[in-house]
Amino acid sequence: MSNWAETILEELKKKEISLIAFVPDISIDRVTSLLENDPYFHVIAATREEEAIGIAAGAFAAGRNAAVFMQSSGFGNSVNAICSLAIPCRFPIPMFINLRGEVGEFNIAQVPMGRATRPILDVLNIPFYTLDTDHNLDKTVGGALKLCYSSREPIALCMTPLLHGGKLA
Amino acid sequence: MLRLDATKMILSHLKDEVVISNLGPTTDELWMAGHRDRNFYTYGSMGLCSSMALGMALSTDEKIISLDGDGSLLMNMGALATIAREKPKNLIVICWDNEEWAQTGHQKTHTAFSTDLEKVAIGCGIDKTATVRDIESLEGALLRALSEDGPWYINAKIEASEEYPVMPIEPEVTLWRFRRTFTDIPTGHLTAMPEARP
Repeated sequence: MSNWAETILEELKKKEISLIAFVPDISIDRVTSLLENDPYFHVIAATREEEAIGIAAGAFAAGRNAAVFMQSSGFGNSVNAICSLAIPCRFPIPMFINLRGEVGEFNIAQVPMGRATRPILDVLNIPFYTLDTDHNLDKTVGGALKLCYSSREPIALCMTPLLHGGKLA
Repeated sequence: MLRLDATKMILSHLKDEVVISNLGPTTDELWMAGHRDRNFYTYGSMGLCSSMALGMALSTDEKIISLDGDGSLLMNMGALATIAREKPKNLIVICWDNEEWAQTGHQKTHTAFSTDLEKVAIGCGIDKTATVRDIESLEGALLRALSEDGPWYINAKIEASEEYPVMPIEPEVTLWRFRRTFTDIPTGHLTAMPEARP
């Protein structure tokens, strides 16, 4: 069985990212459950994804590295927070986004936002990396986190069903 | 009660406590009342002032004061629910409630009708709350909040005020200056990168 969730935890710890703000998603529940059960992390459930961006930004401002986990629909909910807070203040916030609307999607309503996520990241000039295999997962996640802090800008790690197996037909 | 007078009163009781201010006039008047490294000014992201304050409160033991606004808090009332769930002892939310979206043309907000944000806070599970209508009552509530564990929610009814100049500090300077009071690693890297400092 793939250790994708454990790999993400290890890379977060290497960068001393100890505060996680998230809105739940069944497909990435394995990683968020691991985070919640690991005393290294303080995991905060937000009511809405832009709130999670705000919480992570506040943590970083006070000296603690923080990341966000959400679904692509929630990325849609957080675009203004990213544009008017994270980018102008230069908050390095790693965003782990589960992409809906990928292979195996069963719900037509999830397709447009899922499909629009990477193009929106692109026009915002936010680097994004698609996580769809265990191959080089540690290097991709670790390297993206390092880039996030060196550029002092948000970055996105887009997870697909090929990584986590969620909702695949 | 005028927000600028009330902001000056708040600063007169503080040493190194954090103040984070909602976008627009609340930020401009915090800057006018007294610029300090522990002021975090916001520029946009309406609704997220108290969410950012929560993130700060969970990252330091020092007192965090969020100066929020009725229009902004109405946009993200979930922030109060998350604050109540996390219960940070060191967080004080003060909401300037002028019952209008002042900057966009003085349209009435929901607090001019039936919405009571103190009751919203209580309903979310925040136990220590107050609604104040004059500067003396605000001062009393603030002194209690500074000496007792929170989280606190103080709804402060304010009057319409004149517009002041826009706070002139660049956003990335605000973050860099503020964060430096907590850590000598300004970038989040595990080692400081002094050559990257502005």
